[in-house]
Amino acid sequence: MRELLSARRVALLGGVYSNHLALEAALADARARGAEAIFCLGDLGGFGPHPDRVFPLLRDAGVTSVQGNYDLSVAQGAVDCACGYTDPRDTHFARLSYEYTVRNTSTENRRWLRALPPTLKVALGDTRLLLCHGSPRRINEFLWETTTPNGLLERFCRETESDLLCFTHTGIKWHRALPSGRHALNVGALGRPENDGAPRVWYTLLTADHELSVEFVPVSYDHETLAREMTREGLPDEFVETIRSGWWTCCLESMPVKERSRGRY
Amino acid sequence: MLGLSVRAPRDIAASSSAPRVEFRELEQVWFQITGTLCNLACRHCFNSSGPHEPWLAGLDVETVRRHIREAETLGAREFYFTGGEPFLHPEILALLADALAVAPTTVLTNGTLIDDPTADRLTQLAAAALYSLEIRVSLDAPTAAENDAIRGRGSFAKALAAVRRLVARDLYPIVTATEIAAPPGSPSLYERLHAMLRAAGVARPRIKILPVLPTGRCESRGDGRRLTAGDLEGFDPARLQCTRTRVVAAGGVYACPILAGLPGARLAGEGLAAALGPTALAHPACSTCYETGIACGNS
Repeated sequence: MRELLSARRVALLGGVYSNHLALEAALADARARGAEAIFCLGDLGGFGPHPDRVFPLLRDAGVTSVQGNYDLSVAQGAVDCACGYTDPRDTHFARLSYEYTVRNTSTENRRWLRALPPTLKVALGDTRLLLCHGSPRRINEFLWETTTPNGLLERFCRETESDLLCFTHTGIKWHRALPSGRHALNVGALGRPENDGAPRVWYTLLTADHELSVEFVPVSYDHETLAREMTREGLPDEFVETIRSGWWTCCLESMPVKERSRGRY
Repeated sequence: MLGLSVRAPRDIAASSSAPRVEFRELEQVWFQITGTLCNLACRHCFNSSGPHEPWLAGLDVETVRRHIREAETLGAREFYFTGGEPFLHPEILALLADALAVAPTTVLTNGTLIDDPTADRLTQLAAAALYSLEIRVSLDAPTAAENDAIRGRGSFAKALAAVRRLVARDLYPIVTATEIAAPPGSPSLYERLHAMLRAAGVARPRIKILPVLPTGRCESRGDGRRLTAGDLEGFDPARLQCTRTRVVAAGGVYACPILAGLPGARLAGEGLAAALGPTALAHPACSTCYETGIACGNS
């Protein structure tokens, strides 16, 4: 059964990665733009500082979240974040990020993460939405724009009885209308910029009028303060550089060649 | 040219005791496009490819196109073209274009045939496609002396030249190495390759390391161990690529790229849909997958 949302406009937030300042800015922006419901597609921790700071922001704003792979790993005390890196450099940085996040996430918040659902089905007007973190079949599947074929997306839509698939995990937004008229939407990420040389981050607004519209919304926030917090917390300089420059410096292994060629590293 | 065997790897012996794993869903579809025809004859080749009398034939254009269409209807995620050396196939560029129209596509090559015109054509294919074209270039060591002892004289220089040509065109190939020539201890093969590529002016090195498989010309390196049902107790079969991969090769559809062409690994004579049943883990190479978690795909 799908919950029929009474809202006409909803905000979809992707990976927060402990970026509490961007989350705060995005929540205020979404409300100002008339979002009546807000969903987060998981990965609340990782990469950024003070992971516990995002939880009260989400709860106070009434955000409904699904579980990301990071959330599941932190909740379970798993050995790693389950991003699946094999490149030694990426593995090194992923370990630093994960160990910091686990060390600084409270027991109460881990319990909250454990209870999150892996997927949500809702309806916005006549449109049936499937909300998940990676893909409908796998919490840590990367659905990049240039490695996700229409045939697979159509199959996901059929199997989940959905008109619009919404996901995050890769950290870079995209939207595609499928040949059947269904849609696939990577909502982007709030936690770090999307490897385009600008420090702003992104979330997505859906508006149901006579037809559904998708709008990617840029969020500028006090990234310098976040960068200083990361340095004070002893997080790697490579992470801080990304927050300041907008270029990804690590965890590039899974990025396909087309997306990779648009970055600096 | 190295004077080495071209006979087929040892087939899977019929055994009712081999454990079986259920197929999950079709993600990767591989094409053994040139069979075992290759212009090199590497000492560690897992399917004994070479330039003379290949034991496995290549695929014709219509067979590949038919399976591309079927893979699309089944919702497959990505295509891989391998061999042998794929760039020996006369229609390789047209087939890559066909595949890229449907899904992201990777071609595994030794790089020796990627000259400037071919690199230009690959650039055009990649630019015209919505999906990514990944090119994996095999190199087994960071020096010509070490590499060429395995892969043949002059192969290092040619492969590195191909890598440079592709990088210059923003195609950023994935350099793929086995641990065949890796000396024990540090620095690791990854670190040595990374340093060599950077020194050679290769921006953004991408590297994938694979274990040596105890099959083909390296059959004697294995202990011949075969998996038993007990090995799978408490083991997540999803770690095995045969639960989500199928390979189209001469003679039919097979369970994985390592065993493609071996009659004992054939799951269907024609068509992917007929080959989505359980797989018997009957070959010693299955132990390598089980122990190392090897993924022949890009990630």
